[in-house]
Amino acid sequence: MQESYKLEHKQLSARYRRRMAILLAITIIVILISFWIGYYPLSPSQVWKAFLTGLGHTTDVESQAVTIFWKIRLPRILSAMLIGSTLSVSGSVYQGMFQNPLVSPDILGVSAGASLGAACSIFFGFPYWSTQIFAFIGGLTAVLLSYLISRNTVHSQTLSLVLTGTMITALCNSVVTMIKYLSDPNDVLQQITFWLMGSLTKVNMEGVLWSAPPMLIGMVVIILLRWRLNLLSLNDEEAQSLGMNPRRFRLLFIMASTLLSASAVCLGGLIGWVGLMIPHMARAIFGSDYRRLIPGCILLGGSFLLIMDNIARSLLTLELPIGVVTSFLGAPFFVALILKRRK
Amino acid sequence: MLLEIKKLSGGYGEKDICKNLTCSLDAGEVLCVLGPNGCGKTTFFRLLLGSLIHTSGDVYIDGVPASTLSRKEMSQLIAYIPQSHTPTFSYTVLEVVLMGRASYFSAFSAPKQQDVQRAFEALEKLNIEHLANRNYTALSGGQRQMVLIARAVCQDAKVLVMDEPGASLDYSNQLLLMDTIVELSKLGYGIILSTHSPEFPFSVGHKAMLMKDGRILSFGETEQAITSQVLREVFGVEMDIISVKDRYGRDRTLCLPLHA
Repeated sequence: MQESYKLEHKQLSARYRRRMAILLAITIIVILISFWIGYYPLSPSQVWKAFLTGLGHTTDVESQAVTIFWKIRLPRILSAMLIGSTLSVSGSVYQGMFQNPLVSPDILGVSAGASLGAACSIFFGFPYWSTQIFAFIGGLTAVLLSYLISRNTVHSQTLSLVLTGTMITALCNSVVTMIKYLSDPNDVLQQITFWLMGSLTKVNMEGVLWSAPPMLIGMVVIILLRWRLNLLSLNDEEAQSLGMNPRRFRLLFIMASTLLSASAVCLGGLIGWVGLMIPHMARAIFGSDYRRLIPGCILLGGSFLLIMDNIARSLLTLELPIGVVTSFLGAPFFVALILKRRK
Repeated sequence: MLLEIKKLSGGYGEKDICKNLTCSLDAGEVLCVLGPNGCGKTTFFRLLLGSLIHTSGDVYIDGVPASTLSRKEMSQLIAYIPQSHTPTFSYTVLEVVLMGRASYFSAFSAPKQQDVQRAFEALEKLNIEHLANRNYTALSGGQRQMVLIARAVCQDAKVLVMDEPGASLDYSNQLLLMDTIVELSKLGYGIILSTHSPEFPFSVGHKAMLMKDGRILSFGETEQAITSQVLREVFGVEMDIISVKDRYGRDRTLCLPLHA
């Protein structure tokens, strides 16, 4: 009797593994295609030759193609992948920790806090690495404020966390507006405005190399400890009776996922909704167990944002900011999510 | 003694809610904690599970003072079964039961094949292995309660603490739950549960403890601990305790409130 249900469990696990393999294949295909398309299209053979040339081989490809491959397409593809996966992973972590399906880095105010920190740093003309630190501090302050305020309200946790997050976001945005107002319109203002729009147009290899290490640190922490996230989605008393220290782990996960979303904001500005949508899609494909959910979010988020970026840079003759594209999809998704919860 | 609680006091902040609680439990026994809302049952459980730190007194599990145990060691001795709840995300039943294994591997690890085997054994003990791959959130309240009990069994603890089991269940599921509790006690678990029903201890419990305002009014074998006089003190209601025989000739006890 038991055996048939065990077999069923094994088949279920195998199905999830198959899905993961398919998603990995799709991700690789999307990456390859992304090298081809753009304002200056490259053929597959040009891409391959440009790749080899960059590694020191001699090929007959135009030097222009080599520059486009290494200086424009590669950093852009890397940043889309990194931002997409980090926002999705941090969104799924926040959702589990706060036991709330409606939260994400942008809704909790993390993104706004991080952008305020980063805007301060740009305003004072600090170097890029300090922008990262300012963004992290801003994001962490925002999420802790949201969490602590919402815990002391009489409303349901689910709703009050969304409300306090909105409030923190508004507060941060007003300060950012003030900074913009005070900035030099010919230089700093343009920089801040353009960056806040959420765009990958200006990313370069230097930015990627600065943002990747903190992203990797946060990601490694979450990947290694991911099974424990399941326990945090229970209430504290239960988690504790199962033998874990929920407070310590929660703090660690908040730090790690805030590091992820703050670095994503540093690299690409405000790109909304990805952190909300992707975790739900990944749950629909891989189930709720964080053991599969985290890798699922990495692949799905990365390839999703890469596709969105490809759309942003090839839909019209002029390039759309990617934040516009994701919001266009994300806002209706949020409405659908609320309506679905009513059932 | 599997569990000994000596002069335990504690609560939130400065003020002690539970005062001077002393009771004990052997393996294979069921202890029912009875009392009105706000009498300190939940606080007592929190003190027992170590999620609140007591201000004085001691808890001994298998003769070892609980204050010397790590959280991990604690969870391998004493398991908590909350009222059946709906988690935010839809885990499968197997995934929920596997959470009971958390203290048996490092934080960097995840359940392995032998843990899955243990989870299936726990499900089988409760006759719900057919639910293994079902979605936990889609189950009925009674089934969810059974799954949470299976999780505690999977945790391999010796003491099970149940917070008002059956409170949100329909009648037939309450009866099923009673049978399950009796079965588990026969398997050697020591079970502590809280309840509102004065009859409940007579059908499942070996021991009963009646609480009011954070103090124990009576503790002992069910028949001695629960008397009309104590029930009046605890609930403020006059009750007759009536012994009858059912159609199979078994001795049964009823508690009959006498209000007009």
